[in-house]
Amino acid sequence: MIELKDVTKSFGELHVLRGVSLTLPMRQTTAIIGPSGAGKSVLLKLLVGLIRADAGEVRCFGTDMGRADDDELYAVRRRFGMLFQDGALFDNLTVAENIEFPLIHHRRDLKPKERRERVLAALEQVGLPELADRPTGRLSGGQRKRVGLARAIITEPEVVLFDEPNSGLDPVTSDAIDSLILTMKAKLGVTFIIISHDIVGTLNVADNIGMLYEGRLIQFGPTEEIVQAPNPILRRFLQRNVSLPDAAHEAYALPAARQRAM
Amino acid sequence: MSWLGSIGRFGLFCLAFFRASAGRAPPLGATIEQAYRVGVQSLPVLMLISTFVGTNLSIQGYNAFQPIGGQGLVGMFVALAGVRELAPIISASIIAAKAGTEMASQIAVMRVRDQIDALEVMAVSPHWFLITPRLLGIVIVMPALTMLSTFVMVAASYAAAVWQLDLNGATFLEFLLLASAPMDLVISLCKALCFGALICMISCFNGFFSEGGAEGVGAATNRAVVMSAVLCVILNYFISEAVYG
Repeated sequence: MIELKDVTKSFGELHVLRGVSLTLPMRQTTAIIGPSGAGKSVLLKLLVGLIRADAGEVRCFGTDMGRADDDELYAVRRRFGMLFQDGALFDNLTVAENIEFPLIHHRRDLKPKERRERVLAALEQVGLPELADRPTGRLSGGQRKRVGLARAIITEPEVVLFDEPNSGLDPVTSDAIDSLILTMKAKLGVTFIIISHDIVGTLNVADNIGMLYEGRLIQFGPTEEIVQAPNPILRRFLQRNVSLPDAAHEAYALPAARQRAM
Repeated sequence: MSWLGSIGRFGLFCLAFFRASAGRAPPLGATIEQAYRVGVQSLPVLMLISTFVGTNLSIQGYNAFQPIGGQGLVGMFVALAGVRELAPIISASIIAAKAGTEMASQIAVMRVRDQIDALEVMAVSPHWFLITPRLLGIVIVMPALTMLSTFVMVAASYAAAVWQLDLNGATFLEFLLLASAPMDLVISLCKALCFGALICMISCFNGFFSEGGAEGVGAATNRAVVMSAVLCVILNYFISEAVYG
Protein backbone atom coordinates (compact mmCIF):
# COMPACT_ATOMS: atom_id res chain seq x y z
CA MET A 1 0.00 0.00 0.00
CA ILE A 2 1.34 3.41 -0.98
CA GLU A 3 -0.46 6.39 0.41
CA LEU A 4 0.05 10.13 0.66
CA LYS A 5 -1.93 12.10 3.22
CA ASP A 6 -2.11 15.87 2.95
CA VAL A 7 1.53 16.10 1.85
CA THR A 8 3.14 19.52 1.65
CA LYS A 9 6.62 20.28 0.37
CA SER A 10 8.35 23.61 -0.18
CA PHE A 11 11.84 24.64 -1.23
CA GLY A 12 12.33 28.04 0.34
CA GLU A 13 9.58 30.30 -0.95
CA LEU A 14 8.61 27.82 -3.64
CA HIS A 15 5.59 25.74 -2.61
CA VAL A 16 5.88 22.60 -4.72
CA LEU A 17 3.22 20.38 -3.17
CA ARG A 18 0.21 21.77 -1.30
CA GLY A 19 -1.74 19.14 0.58
CA VAL A 20 -1.62 16.22 -1.82
CA SER A 21 -3.57 13.12 -0.74
CA LEU A 22 -3.52 10.00 -2.85
CA THR A 23 -3.73 6.23 -2.54
CA LEU A 24 -1.95 4.42 -5.34
CA PRO A 25 -3.67 1.23 -6.51
CA MET A 26 -1.36 -1.78 -6.36
CA ARG A 27 -0.66 -4.03 -9.37
CA GLN A 28 -1.86 -1.29 -11.69
CA THR A 29 -0.17 1.39 -13.71
CA THR A 30 -0.71 4.88 -12.39
CA ALA A 31 0.51 7.94 -14.22
CA ILE A 32 0.94 11.32 -12.59
CA ILE A 33 0.78 14.02 -15.22
CA GLY A 34 1.10 17.76 -15.10
CA PRO A 35 3.03 20.67 -16.52
CA SER A 36 6.70 21.28 -15.70
CA GLY A 37 7.14 22.50 -12.14
CA ALA A 38 3.86 20.97 -10.96
CA GLY A 39 5.68 18.81 -8.41
CA LYS A 40 5.68 15.46 -10.21
CA SER A 41 9.33 14.57 -9.68
CA VAL A 42 9.17 15.79 -6.07
CA LEU A 43 6.23 13.44 -5.51
CA LEU A 44 8.27 10.55 -6.88
CA LYS A 45 11.24 11.40 -4.65
CA LEU A 46 8.94 11.58 -1.62
CA LEU A 47 7.69 8.07 -2.34
CA VAL A 48 11.16 6.55 -2.01
CA GLY A 49 12.29 8.85 0.79
CA LEU A 50 14.89 10.76 -1.22
CA ILE A 51 13.36 13.88 0.25
CA ARG A 52 11.01 14.29 3.18
CA ALA A 53 7.68 16.07 3.31
CA ASP A 54 7.37 19.28 5.32
CA ALA A 55 3.93 18.20 6.51
CA GLY A 56 1.61 15.28 5.97
CA GLU A 57 2.49 11.63 5.65
CA VAL A 58 3.94 9.43 2.94
CA ARG A 59 3.36 5.80 3.83
CA CYS A 60 4.83 2.94 1.79
CA PHE A 61 4.17 -0.65 2.83
CA GLY A 62 3.28 0.55 6.30
CA THR A 63 6.44 2.65 6.78
CA ASP A 64 6.15 6.37 7.34
CA MET A 65 8.85 7.53 4.92
CA GLY A 66 9.17 10.89 6.65
CA ARG A 67 10.08 9.39 10.00
CA ALA A 68 11.89 6.22 8.96
CA ASP A 69 15.58 5.81 9.81
CA ASP A 70 18.11 4.72 7.18
CA ASP A 71 17.65 1.00 7.80
CA GLU A 72 13.87 1.25 7.49
CA LEU A 73 14.17 3.37 4.34
CA TYR A 74 16.54 0.88 2.73
CA ALA A 75 14.21 -1.99 3.65
CA VAL A 76 11.32 -0.24 1.85
CA ARG A 77 13.47 0.79 -1.11
CA ARG A 78 14.39 -2.83 -1.77
CA ARG A 79 10.75 -3.26 -2.77
CA PHE A 80 11.11 -0.49 -5.35
CA GLY A 81 12.83 -0.19 -8.70
CA MET A 82 13.23 3.14 -10.39
CA LEU A 83 13.95 4.31 -13.92
CA PHE A 84 15.54 7.76 -13.84
CA GLN A 85 15.15 10.30 -16.62
CA ASP A 86 18.43 9.54 -18.38
CA GLY A 87 18.85 6.10 -16.82
CA ALA A 88 21.34 7.25 -14.13
CA LEU A 89 23.72 4.53 -15.27
CA PHE A 90 27.24 4.36 -13.85
CA ASP A 91 29.56 5.53 -16.59
CA ASN A 92 32.54 3.45 -15.48
CA LEU A 93 30.60 0.19 -15.77
CA THR A 94 29.40 -1.77 -18.77
CA VAL A 95 25.72 -2.37 -19.46
CA ALA A 96 25.83 -5.80 -17.79
CA GLU A 97 27.72 -4.49 -14.77
CA ASN A 98 25.16 -1.73 -14.32
CA ILE A 99 22.29 -4.18 -14.36
CA GLU A 100 24.15 -6.60 -12.10
CA PHE A 101 24.88 -3.86 -9.54
CA PRO A 102 21.77 -4.31 -7.33
CA LEU A 103 22.17 -8.09 -7.41
CA ILE A 104 25.76 -7.85 -6.17
CA HIS A 105 24.60 -5.82 -3.19
CA HIS A 106 21.33 -7.55 -2.35
CA ARG A 107 21.51 -11.09 -3.68
CA ARG A 108 24.73 -12.42 -2.28
CA ASP A 109 23.28 -15.91 -2.44
CA LEU A 110 23.61 -15.81 -6.23
CA LYS A 111 26.78 -17.05 -7.88
CA PRO A 112 28.39 -14.88 -10.58
CA LYS A 113 27.12 -17.24 -13.27
CA GLU A 114 23.56 -17.01 -11.96
CA ARG A 115 23.80 -13.24 -11.79
CA ARG A 116 25.03 -13.14 -15.38
CA GLU A 117 22.10 -15.30 -16.49
CA ARG A 118 19.66 -12.96 -14.79
CA VAL A 119 21.31 -9.93 -16.35
CA LEU A 120 21.07 -11.45 -19.82
CA ALA A 121 17.43 -12.38 -19.20
CA ALA A 122 16.66 -8.80 -18.13
CA LEU A 123 18.43 -7.46 -21.22
CA GLU A 124 16.38 -9.85 -23.33
CA GLN A 125 13.22 -8.47 -21.71
CA VAL A 126 14.11 -4.91 -22.66
CA GLY A 127 15.17 -5.96 -26.13
CA LEU A 128 18.89 -5.34 -25.88
CA PRO A 129 20.46 -8.81 -25.54
CA GLU A 130 23.46 -7.92 -27.68
CA LEU A 131 24.61 -4.93 -25.62
CA ALA A 132 25.70 -6.67 -22.42
CA ASP A 133 29.37 -5.77 -22.65
CA ARG A 134 29.04 -2.35 -24.21
CA PRO A 135 30.28 0.66 -22.18
CA THR A 136 27.32 2.78 -21.12
CA GLY A 137 28.90 5.86 -22.67
CA ARG A 138 28.22 4.40 -26.11
CA LEU A 139 24.47 3.99 -25.65
CA SER A 140 21.76 6.13 -27.24
CA GLY A 141 19.12 7.86 -25.10
CA GLY A 142 16.56 5.13 -25.72
CA GLN A 143 19.07 2.38 -24.99
CA ARG A 144 20.05 4.07 -21.72
CA LYS A 145 16.40 4.07 -20.65
CA ARG A 146 16.03 0.40 -21.51
CA VAL A 147 19.17 -0.52 -19.61
CA GLY A 148 17.92 1.60 -16.70
CA LEU A 149 14.65 -0.30 -16.84
CA ALA A 150 16.48 -3.64 -16.87
CA ARG A 151 18.38 -2.52 -13.76
CA ALA A 152 15.14 -1.38 -12.12
CA ILE A 153 13.45 -4.77 -12.54
CA ILE A 154 16.43 -7.09 -11.99
CA THR A 155 15.66 -7.53 -8.28
CA GLU A 156 11.99 -8.24 -9.04
CA PRO A 157 10.59 -5.24 -7.15
CA GLU A 158 6.95 -4.87 -6.21
CA VAL A 159 6.78 -1.27 -7.44
CA VAL A 160 8.58 0.28 -10.40
CA LEU A 161 8.79 4.05 -10.65
CA PHE A 162 9.34 5.83 -13.95
CA ASP A 163 10.57 9.41 -14.04
CA GLU A 164 9.62 10.83 -17.44
CA PRO A 165 10.22 7.60 -19.42
CA ASN A 166 9.57 9.33 -22.75
CA SER A 167 11.43 12.58 -22.24
CA GLY A 168 14.06 13.37 -24.85
CA LEU A 169 13.07 10.46 -27.08
CA ASP A 170 11.91 10.54 -30.67
CA PRO A 171 8.30 9.36 -31.26
CA VAL A 172 9.35 5.91 -32.50
CA THR A 173 11.62 5.21 -29.51
CA SER A 174 9.03 6.72 -27.21
CA ASP A 175 6.42 4.35 -28.58
CA ALA A 176 8.82 1.45 -28.12
CA ILE A 177 9.32 2.37 -24.45
CA ASP A 178 5.53 2.49 -23.97
CA SER A 179 5.28 -0.94 -25.57
CA LEU A 180 7.95 -2.20 -23.24
CA ILE A 181 6.10 -0.86 -20.19
CA LEU A 182 2.91 -2.61 -21.28
CA THR A 183 4.71 -5.87 -22.00
CA MET A 184 6.50 -5.79 -18.66
CA LYS A 185 3.31 -4.97 -16.82
CA ALA A 186 1.69 -8.02 -18.36
CA LYS A 187 4.68 -10.24 -17.57
CA LEU A 188 5.63 -9.01 -14.12
CA GLY A 189 2.25 -8.00 -12.70
CA VAL A 190 3.80 -5.29 -10.54
CA THR A 191 2.77 -1.75 -9.68
CA PHE A 192 4.02 0.89 -12.07
CA ILE A 193 4.03 4.57 -11.16
CA ILE A 194 4.84 6.88 -14.04
CA ILE A 195 5.63 10.57 -13.91
CA SER A 196 5.12 12.15 -17.29
CA HIS A 197 3.92 15.10 -19.28
CA ASP A 198 3.62 12.99 -22.44
CA ILE A 199 -0.13 12.54 -22.67
CA VAL A 200 -0.17 10.19 -25.65
CA GLY A 201 2.23 7.80 -23.94
CA THR A 202 0.34 8.08 -20.67
CA LEU A 203 -2.99 7.24 -22.29
CA ASN A 204 -1.33 4.23 -23.87
CA VAL A 205 -0.04 2.67 -20.70
CA ALA A 206 -1.90 3.98 -17.64
CA ASP A 207 -4.80 2.35 -15.81
CA ASN A 208 -5.16 5.42 -13.61
CA ILE A 209 -4.16 9.02 -14.09
CA GLY A 210 -3.63 11.80 -11.57
CA MET A 211 -3.14 15.39 -12.62
CA LEU A 212 -0.94 17.68 -10.57
CA TYR A 213 -1.36 21.39 -11.11
CA GLU A 214 0.40 24.07 -9.08
CA GLY A 215 1.18 21.59 -6.35
CA ARG A 216 -2.34 20.23 -6.02
CA LEU A 217 -3.80 16.96 -7.23
CA ILE A 218 -6.75 18.33 -9.19
CA GLN A 219 -8.00 15.04 -10.61
CA PHE A 220 -7.37 11.34 -10.01
CA GLY A 221 -9.14 8.30 -11.36
CA PRO A 222 -9.26 5.55 -13.99
CA THR A 223 -7.95 6.64 -17.40
CA GLU A 224 -11.38 6.28 -19.04
CA GLU A 225 -12.85 8.75 -16.54
CA ILE A 226 -9.96 11.17 -16.77
CA VAL A 227 -10.25 11.40 -20.55
CA GLN A 228 -13.91 12.40 -20.16
CA ALA A 229 -13.50 14.56 -17.06
CA PRO A 230 -14.84 18.11 -17.41
CA ASN A 231 -12.10 19.78 -15.30
CA PRO A 232 -11.09 22.76 -17.48
CA ILE A 233 -7.40 22.69 -16.53
CA LEU A 234 -7.20 18.97 -17.23
CA ARG A 235 -9.00 19.41 -20.55
CA ARG A 236 -6.72 22.22 -21.57
CA PHE A 237 -3.68 20.10 -20.67
CA LEU A 238 -5.00 17.10 -22.58
CA GLN A 239 -5.96 19.18 -25.60
CA ARG A 240 -2.46 20.58 -25.85
CA ASN A 241 -1.18 17.04 -26.29
CA VAL A 242 -3.90 15.17 -28.16
CA SER A 243 -6.80 16.46 -30.16
CA LEU A 244 -9.65 16.20 -27.70
CA PRO A 245 -12.55 15.78 -27.68
CA ASP A 246 -12.91 14.32 -31.18
CA ALA A 247 -9.77 12.26 -31.10
CA ALA A 248 -10.02 11.37 -27.42
CA HIS A 249 -11.68 8.08 -28.01
CA GLU A 250 -9.26 7.16 -30.75
CA ALA A 251 -6.23 8.18 -28.78
CA TYR A 252 -7.28 6.20 -25.76
CA ALA A 253 -9.01 3.19 -27.25
CA LEU A 254 -6.70 2.35 -30.11
CA PRO A 255 -3.16 3.29 -29.19
CA ALA A 256 -0.63 1.36 -31.23
CA ALA A 257 1.46 0.29 -28.28
CA ARG A 258 -1.53 -1.04 -26.37
CA GLN A 259 -2.61 -3.10 -29.34
CA ARG A 260 0.86 -4.53 -29.83
CA ALA A 261 1.08 -5.65 -26.23
CA MET A 262 -2.19 -7.51 -26.39
CA MET B 1 25.43 32.39 9.05
CA SER B 2 25.92 30.41 5.87
CA TRP B 3 29.36 29.14 6.94
CA LEU B 4 27.86 28.04 10.25
CA GLY B 5 25.25 26.12 8.30
CA SER B 6 27.99 24.56 6.16
CA ILE B 7 29.87 23.42 9.26
CA GLY B 8 26.69 21.88 10.59
CA ARG B 9 26.00 20.13 7.29
CA PHE B 10 29.59 18.88 7.15
CA GLY B 11 29.22 17.48 10.67
CA LEU B 12 25.99 15.70 9.73
CA PHE B 13 27.62 14.42 6.55
CA CYS B 14 30.53 12.92 8.54
CA LEU B 15 28.09 11.43 11.03
CA ALA B 16 26.04 9.85 8.24
CA PHE B 17 29.24 8.42 6.78
CA PHE B 18 30.36 6.88 10.08
CA ARG B 19 26.91 5.43 10.70
CA ALA B 20 26.74 3.96 7.20
CA SER B 21 30.26 2.54 7.27
CA ALA B 22 30.56 1.30 10.86
CA GLY B 23 31.01 -2.44 10.93
CA ARG B 24 30.74 -2.85 7.16
CA ALA B 25 33.56 -4.18 5.04
CA PRO B 26 34.69 -1.60 2.49
CA PRO B 27 34.29 -2.28 -1.23
CA LEU B 28 37.75 -3.84 -1.70
CA GLY B 29 38.22 -3.37 -5.44
CA ALA B 30 37.20 0.28 -5.28
CA THR B 31 39.54 0.87 -2.31
CA ILE B 32 42.52 -0.54 -4.21
CA GLU B 33 41.59 1.54 -7.23
CA GLN B 34 41.39 4.69 -5.15
CA ALA B 35 44.73 3.99 -3.44
CA TYR B 36 46.26 3.56 -6.89
CA ARG B 37 44.68 6.75 -8.20
CA VAL B 38 45.77 8.82 -5.21
CA GLY B 39 49.19 7.27 -4.84
CA VAL B 40 50.65 6.32 -8.17
CA GLN B 41 49.07 9.10 -10.19
CA SER B 42 50.09 11.83 -7.72
CA LEU B 43 53.61 10.51 -7.21
CA PRO B 44 55.50 12.09 -10.16
CA VAL B 45 54.23 15.62 -9.58
CA LEU B 46 54.78 15.34 -5.82
CA MET B 47 58.36 14.16 -6.31
CA LEU B 48 59.07 16.95 -8.75
CA ILE B 49 57.72 19.62 -6.43
CA SER B 50 59.45 18.11 -3.37
CA THR B 51 62.76 18.19 -5.25
CA PHE B 52 62.56 21.87 -6.02
CA VAL B 53 61.20 22.84 -2.61
CA GLY B 54 64.23 20.98 -1.18
CA THR B 55 66.73 22.86 -3.33
CA ASN B 56 65.08 26.17 -2.45
CA LEU B 57 65.20 25.36 1.26
CA SER B 58 68.97 25.04 1.02
CA ILE B 59 69.31 28.23 -1.00
CA GLN B 60 67.14 30.30 1.37
CA GLY B 61 68.71 28.74 4.45
CA TYR B 62 72.11 29.57 3.07
CA ASN B 63 71.03 33.18 2.35
CA ALA B 64 69.68 33.52 5.89
CA PHE B 65 72.64 32.06 7.76
CA GLN B 66 75.59 32.97 5.54
CA PRO B 67 75.77 36.66 6.63
CA ILE B 68 76.30 35.57 10.25
CA GLY B 69 78.69 32.81 9.28
CA GLY B 70 76.23 30.09 10.12
CA GLN B 71 75.91 28.43 6.71
CA GLY B 72 76.55 25.08 8.39
CA LEU B 73 73.11 25.40 9.95
CA VAL B 74 71.40 24.85 6.62
CA GLY B 75 70.92 21.18 7.51
CA MET B 76 69.14 22.19 10.70
CA PHE B 77 66.92 24.59 8.74
CA VAL B 78 66.00 21.80 6.33
CA ALA B 79 65.15 19.50 9.25
CA LEU B 80 62.95 22.04 11.01
CA ALA B 81 61.20 23.54 8.00
CA GLY B 82 61.28 20.67 5.52
CA VAL B 83 60.85 17.49 7.54
CA ARG B 84 58.55 18.86 10.22
CA GLU B 85 56.41 21.26 8.20
CA LEU B 86 56.79 21.48 4.45
CA ALA B 87 56.81 17.80 3.46
CA PRO B 88 53.41 17.03 5.03
CA ILE B 89 51.81 20.29 3.92
CA ILE B 90 53.13 20.06 0.36
CA SER B 91 51.97 16.45 0.09
CA ALA B 92 48.56 17.53 1.35
CA SER B 93 48.40 20.40 -1.14
CA ILE B 94 49.27 18.17 -4.09
CA ILE B 95 46.79 15.51 -3.00
CA ALA B 96 44.10 18.15 -2.49
CA ALA B 97 44.79 19.61 -5.93
CA LYS B 98 44.94 16.28 -7.73
CA ALA B 99 43.01 13.59 -5.86
CA GLY B 100 40.70 15.94 -3.94
CA THR B 101 39.48 17.72 -7.05
CA GLU B 102 38.98 14.39 -8.79
CA MET B 103 36.89 13.10 -5.89
CA ALA B 104 34.81 16.26 -5.71
CA SER B 105 34.16 16.44 -9.45
CA GLN B 106 33.39 12.70 -9.80
CA ILE B 107 30.85 12.78 -6.98
CA ALA B 108 29.40 16.10 -8.16
CA VAL B 109 28.84 14.66 -11.64
CA MET B 110 27.19 11.62 -10.06
CA ARG B 111 24.89 13.97 -8.16
CA VAL B 112 24.01 15.92 -11.31
CA ARG B 113 23.28 12.72 -13.25
CA ASP B 114 21.05 11.27 -10.50
CA GLN B 115 23.50 8.43 -9.86
CA ILE B 116 23.63 9.16 -6.13
CA ASP B 117 19.82 9.08 -5.99
CA ALA B 118 19.98 5.83 -7.97
CA LEU B 119 22.28 4.34 -5.31
CA GLU B 120 19.83 5.41 -2.61
CA VAL B 121 16.87 3.89 -4.44
CA MET B 122 18.83 0.66 -4.96
CA ALA B 123 19.25 0.63 -1.16
CA VAL B 124 23.03 1.03 -1.39
CA SER B 125 24.30 3.72 0.96
CA PRO B 126 26.18 6.29 -1.14
CA HIS B 127 28.08 7.35 1.98
CA TRP B 128 29.45 3.85 2.31
CA PHE B 129 29.84 3.06 -1.36
CA LEU B 130 31.42 6.32 -2.49
CA ILE B 131 33.32 7.62 0.51
CA THR B 132 34.71 4.54 2.29
CA PRO B 133 37.01 3.46 -0.57
CA ARG B 134 38.17 7.02 -1.14
CA LEU B 135 38.90 7.59 2.54
CA LEU B 136 40.72 4.28 2.94
CA GLY B 137 42.64 4.81 -0.29
CA ILE B 138 43.88 8.22 0.73
CA VAL B 139 44.63 7.22 4.33
CA ILE B 140 46.67 4.22 3.14
CA VAL B 141 48.66 6.23 0.64
CA MET B 142 49.15 9.65 2.25
CA PRO B 143 51.73 8.57 4.88
CA ALA B 144 53.78 6.80 2.22
CA LEU B 145 53.64 9.82 -0.08
CA THR B 146 54.64 12.13 2.77
CA MET B 147 57.60 9.91 3.67
CA LEU B 148 58.75 9.84 0.05
CA SER B 149 58.31 13.59 -0.20
CA THR B 150 60.38 14.05 2.97
CA PHE B 151 63.27 11.93 1.71
CA VAL B 152 63.27 13.49 -1.75
CA MET B 153 63.16 16.97 -0.24
CA VAL B 154 66.09 16.24 2.11
CA ALA B 155 68.07 14.59 -0.69
CA ALA B 156 67.49 17.57 -2.99
CA SER B 157 68.44 19.97 -0.19
CA TYR B 158 71.61 17.99 0.41
CA ALA B 159 72.46 17.97 -3.30
CA ALA B 160 71.91 21.73 -3.60
CA ALA B 161 73.90 22.42 -0.43
CA VAL B 162 76.87 20.32 -1.46
CA TRP B 163 77.02 20.75 -5.24
CA GLN B 164 75.54 24.19 -5.74
CA LEU B 165 76.39 26.06 -2.54
CA ASP B 166 79.64 24.18 -1.90
CA LEU B 167 78.80 23.37 1.72
CA ASN B 168 80.29 20.46 3.63
CA GLY B 169 78.03 17.41 3.27
CA ALA B 170 79.03 15.88 6.62
CA THR B 171 78.21 19.15 8.42
CA PHE B 172 74.87 19.37 6.63
CA LEU B 173 73.92 15.86 7.75
CA GLU B 174 75.24 16.40 11.26
CA PHE B 175 73.00 19.42 11.82
CA LEU B 176 70.10 17.76 10.03
CA LEU B 177 70.24 14.81 12.41
CA LEU B 178 70.82 17.07 15.38
CA ALA B 179 67.58 18.95 14.74
CA SER B 180 65.42 16.00 13.77
CA ALA B 181 64.44 12.87 15.64
CA PRO B 182 62.52 9.74 14.61
CA MET B 183 59.57 11.24 16.44
CA ASP B 184 59.48 14.01 13.83
CA LEU B 185 58.77 11.40 11.18
CA VAL B 186 56.05 9.87 13.34
CA ILE B 187 54.44 13.30 13.82
CA SER B 188 54.75 13.88 10.09
CA LEU B 189 52.94 10.59 9.43
CA CYS B 190 50.18 11.56 11.86
CA LYS B 191 49.80 14.88 10.07
CA ALA B 192 49.59 13.03 6.77
CA LEU B 193 46.80 10.81 8.10
CA CYS B 194 44.84 13.79 9.41
CA PHE B 195 45.32 15.79 6.21
CA GLY B 196 44.33 12.82 4.04
CA ALA B 197 41.13 12.22 5.98
CA LEU B 198 40.30 15.93 5.96
CA ILE B 199 40.90 16.30 2.21
CA CYS B 200 38.77 13.26 1.43
CA MET B 201 35.83 14.26 3.61
CA ILE B 202 35.84 17.88 2.41
CA SER B 203 36.12 16.89 -1.25
CA CYS B 204 33.39 14.26 -0.99
CA PHE B 205 31.18 16.67 0.98
CA ASN B 206 31.44 19.35 -1.68
CA GLY B 207 30.77 16.86 -4.46
CA PHE B 208 27.86 15.32 -2.58
CA PHE B 209 26.01 18.60 -2.14
CA SER B 210 26.81 20.18 -5.49
CA GLU B 211 23.88 21.61 -7.40
CA GLY B 212 23.29 23.52 -10.59
CA GLY B 213 24.60 21.32 -13.40
CA ALA B 214 28.03 21.77 -14.97
CA GLU B 215 28.57 25.11 -13.26
CA GLY B 216 27.83 23.48 -9.93
CA VAL B 217 30.38 20.76 -10.60
CA GLY B 218 33.05 23.40 -11.24
CA ALA B 219 32.09 25.36 -8.15
CA ALA B 220 32.12 22.23 -5.97
CA THR B 221 35.56 21.26 -7.25
CA ASN B 222 36.89 24.73 -6.65
CA ARG B 223 35.45 24.88 -3.12
CA ALA B 224 36.89 21.46 -2.35
CA VAL B 225 40.48 22.37 -3.18
CA VAL B 226 40.37 25.79 -1.51
CA MET B 227 38.74 24.50 1.68
CA SER B 228 41.10 21.49 1.83
CA ALA B 229 44.23 23.59 1.41
CA VAL B 230 43.16 26.25 3.91
CA LEU B 231 42.00 23.78 6.56
CA CYS B 232 45.13 21.64 6.20
CA VAL B 233 47.36 24.67 6.77
CA ILE B 234 45.32 25.69 9.82
CA LEU B 235 45.31 22.14 11.18
CA ASN B 236 49.07 21.94 10.58
CA TYR B 237 49.56 25.00 12.79
CA PHE B 238 47.57 23.50 15.64
CA ILE B 239 49.35 20.14 15.46
CA SER B 240 52.78 21.82 15.34
CA GLU B 241 51.84 24.14 18.17
CA ALA B 242 50.62 21.20 20.26
CA VAL B 243 53.73 19.09 19.60
CA TYR B 244 56.57 21.59 19.20
CA GLY B 245 55.15 24.81 20.63
